[in-house]
Amino acid sequence: MINKSKGLSKAKEVYANRSHRVKELKAEGKKIIGYPCMYVPLEIITALDLISYRTYGDMAEPVTEADRALPTAFCPIMRSCLDCALKAKDDFLDGIVTTHSCDPQEKTARVWESYIDYSYFHFIDMPGTLRPEALEYYRGQIGDFKKSLESFAGKELSSDKVKAAIRLHNRQRALVRELYELTKPEPPLISGTEILQVVKALMSLPVAEGNELIEQVISEVKGRTDGPQKKPARLLLWSSTLDDIDIMQIFEAGANVVMDESCGGIRAYRADVNLTDDPLDGLTHYYATEITCARTFREAALGEVRKDYMADLESRFGHLKHIAKEWNTDGAIFLLVRYCDPFAFEMPSIKDYFDSFPIPSTYIEYDYTQGSLAPLRTRVEAFLETIS
Amino acid sequence: MYFAGVDIGSTMTKIVLTQRDHRVLSVIKGPTGPEHRQLANEVMKMALEKANLQLDEISYVVATGYGRLNVPFADRQITELTCHARGVSSLFTNVRTAIDIGGQDAKCMKINNGKMVDFVMNDKCAAGTGRFLEIIAATLGVKVEQLGDISLKSTKKLEISSFCTIFAQQEVVTRLSDEENLEDIIAGLHDALVSRVAGLARRLKIEPDVVLTGGVAKNAGIVKAMKENLGCELLIPEDPLLTGALGAAILAKEYFQKAMSKGETGPTKARRLEKAMFFR
Repeated sequence: MINKSKGLSKAKEVYANRSHRVKELKAEGKKIIGYPCMYVPLEIITALDLISYRTYGDMAEPVTEADRALPTAFCPIMRSCLDCALKAKDDFLDGIVTTHSCDPQEKTARVWESYIDYSYFHFIDMPGTLRPEALEYYRGQIGDFKKSLESFAGKELSSDKVKAAIRLHNRQRALVRELYELTKPEPPLISGTEILQVVKALMSLPVAEGNELIEQVISEVKGRTDGPQKKPARLLLWSSTLDDIDIMQIFEAGANVVMDESCGGIRAYRADVNLTDDPLDGLTHYYATEITCARTFREAALGEVRKDYMADLESRFGHLKHIAKEWNTDGAIFLLVRYCDPFAFEMPSIKDYFDSFPIPSTYIEYDYTQGSLAPLRTRVEAFLETIS
Repeated sequence: MYFAGVDIGSTMTKIVLTQRDHRVLSVIKGPTGPEHRQLANEVMKMALEKANLQLDEISYVVATGYGRLNVPFADRQITELTCHARGVSSLFTNVRTAIDIGGQDAKCMKINNGKMVDFVMNDKCAAGTGRFLEIIAATLGVKVEQLGDISLKSTKKLEISSFCTIFAQQEVVTRLSDEENLEDIIAGLHDALVSRVAGLARRLKIEPDVVLTGGVAKNAGIVKAMKENLGCELLIPEDPLLTGALGAAILAKEYFQKAMSKGETGPTKARRLEKAMFFR
């Protein structure tokens, strides 16, 4: 029974049956707000006593409905996500919030808002850069989102309520970082597969329950004797999002995945929201700058007319150097989803950056289908053969 | 002491049996086909017969290629990238770049002192592979083996703008109705295939010596087009199909010797020639 299990086994259960808890809460009268991207400021949802729920694609589900509403040659993850929505797989959602993190997120907003009958829909615009005017604009967008969600929830948000939500979500971020500390030992105490299940579980549960789950996992893992076996290489994975253990297990067949810098791993938990006087300021700064998705145009220095390539790389990927060294990684794999322009355009820059350490790296493309797993396996094995 | 390299490619299965000093004792090449994926044991029997050996005389078997998981009697599976790099290095000591164009994939390997240090594989479709040539040959009503010689007779540069097999076919039909010469069309198609593979290879820095392998390397027209595109000499093994299996056999010997030096005994499970079982 889900209520009785704890720690890693609970994470596994939630991973396998993600919507169970929110359906229970819905039956109790709670409202569930879906979000397809980690750029959505969840604190606003939490502060209004609504439950946030990450919508995902499903690699195992053949895409059959999406073609009537969407083109074929774009992000297969979002396409799968929409396909599931069109099949009413998440019909327990009362609303959905999407954001202009990337083109598919923006364009699929149309499908969310028109093809599916939600009580609430909101699209948050996001600037492409982190320039001062851009952040000012974004602050306005977050304010608008707050107003619109307040209107749906039928109540106003006090600054204190938002701050309380920020503290709660920051607690989750700190706990996930604590969890990742447990992959530093040789061999790691927890596997990439297990962390993926935990993180996906966090995105399926109310924040406080998610925090309780990580605490259980941390204490369980610290005391375990049945941890992952030592493999010939310690891998860092970098991708947009990694949401299926079938994919993770391809990497972990021949390596220990000690860090997953993706929206299925540490990306949304790597830093905390600053508790500013006006909490929306802190949220603006966090969501714009601290989530290291390739969609953002970062620059080393504003107003420079001659660019310094290494300084540019440092401003875009600097957070990875510390991670790669601290976690003692032997190699990095950049996992690209077919048609994902933001991440694809980071090649060869991110490879150049890793070459500068040096840490061997490679990039591999897959298309989020079961059929792409076998070619992925060959390429992962070949890479591991070069570094072992 | 004998070793075996089994390379089950998407189109062709190759087995190389070697003696300790890398002397090749027997070579078997056959089409993989849908049943043959299960029948690595049958092809192995043929290879053993040819060399007059029994399976238990083989000290170590390495399986590679697309079907490497379907070789129940293998001691180890290693990807075809590592095996090709190894095989090519044994034939050409100064190789730094290896390009393999197979039936359904194309790959490029960076080699340093006999070891693969980087690689890139075709990742979108069968453009730039043997499949492209097979379909084109069928469209033009010629045999695949004739394509190379026909293309060498070309006197006019024809640009086939697409290396996509399907779209290239459409262009071919247009060219034929424009009454272009067969040899010019085929030469243009070779350029298209080569540009796809060279584009892939350029993601790694191409450094000589450059070796070309795979069934497609037997096509003299492709070799000529590739030399032109890359602007350098190309080394081609006597049998360009075998470098994967050869590399696998060499790695078999290396893994065996490593195990011996660590004091490990031979495989505990008796090796049997049996059909690969799927969906247990």
